[in-house]
Amino acid sequence: MNIPEGLKYTKDHEWIKVEGNKATVGITDFAQGELGDIVYVDISTVGQDVKEHEIFGTVEAVKTVSDLYMPITGKVLEVNKELDGSPEKVNSDPYGSGWMIKMELKNPADAAQLLTAAQYKELIGK
Amino acid sequence: MIELPVIPVEETRKRKPNWLRVKLPIGPEYAKVRALVDAHKLHTICESGNCPNMGECWGAGTATFMILGNICTRSCTFCAVATGRPTEYDEDEPRRVAEAIQLMGVKHAVITSVNRDELKDRGAEVWFQTVFQTKQLMPTTTIETLIPDTKGNWDALYRMIEGGQEVVSHNVETVERMYRRVRPQAKYERSLEQLKRIREAGKRTKSGIMLGVGETKEEVFKAMDDLVQHGLLILTLGQYLQPTKMHLEVAEFIHPDTFDMYKEEGLKRGLRYVESGPLVRSSYHAERHVNVPIA
Repeated sequence: MNIPEGLKYTKDHEWIKVEGNKATVGITDFAQGELGDIVYVDISTVGQDVKEHEIFGTVEAVKTVSDLYMPITGKVLEVNKELDGSPEKVNSDPYGSGWMIKMELKNPADAAQLLTAAQYKELIGK
Repeated sequence: MIELPVIPVEETRKRKPNWLRVKLPIGPEYAKVRALVDAHKLHTICESGNCPNMGECWGAGTATFMILGNICTRSCTFCAVATGRPTEYDEDEPRRVAEAIQLMGVKHAVITSVNRDELKDRGAEVWFQTVFQTKQLMPTTTIETLIPDTKGNWDALYRMIEGGQEVVSHNVETVERMYRRVRPQAKYERSLEQLKRIREAGKRTKSGIMLGVGETKEEVFKAMDDLVQHGLLILTLGQYLQPTKMHLEVAEFIHPDTFDMYKEEGLKRGLRYVESGPLVRSSYHAERHVNVPIA
């Protein structure tokens, strides 16, 4: 199970990499493993302000659909268009080429409340 | 004559409707169940079947154990359990299942298995021991066993169901016409006869049908009538979901209102209890089925 240090996590299994007032968001290695083969990533919130814990999109696996939750309040700037043609990147490289959105944080200080790698590991019992 | 434009039909995968959304697993109970399953070297149909409700059930501290290994002698096109020549036959498995159920403090346990057509007794002894030993350790835990068909070996069937379980489930899975496509090594009539024999042996009978594999409503009604005639008490109806890209494709996503209609129709036709909804699986709300009167 790959849970890199240096990223922040949510209990809904998103990871977030904060750089200044910008951030990149995706789902964790644990989440992709539990979902199984991902067949579609649907995000239609580009340009919108989305509050923490509100839904910014959905991820569809072969057998299920799950909501994607905003880890932190902010604006969705960009989605990973590569996922349209190759959603399997979320499975093979969840923290790299499988990223989902880039966002602008409303209040960068909010990031302090997110889970650390160690806290997330504990949550999923690893 | 006007020439109509030819619109190429694009092969598009059916997107899943909103009512099939689930939450990802979370929390300490989930981790506890996962740890127990791993430590006791047990299989679960939750994992082997890639179940969409796994987050919900494991998060609530319950799992459905799958005994007699995780390789099945049948190759049903809907099922994610691996097909092959089974290698595991573990006489110690009943004890480990019973202990895990005790450690989890499960009030209602659901146990299922792969098909073991290569065994003379179809796995009946391991089945019996698993139920019996669980009852010895946890007398107040109620048990449902979701059993395979014994290919007409009725002695094996009777051994499988005499360990003291409250509910005996055997899924017909689909309507008669779809058997060749969905359950090529099974027979609709044989599954009905098995259910009849289970009821005649004094057991609470339960079965399940997956919808959305290409059946018609009339065929579902016919299956309900057949099941009632063969002594069925409890029926579950759920949406078939393709477990991997290699499996049978979903023909149709059935609307939740249609599931409600089926429930009403089933009760009208004489079933005592019908659990019907897109994400309903065989063991969904299974604890409620223990109270359905047998007589």
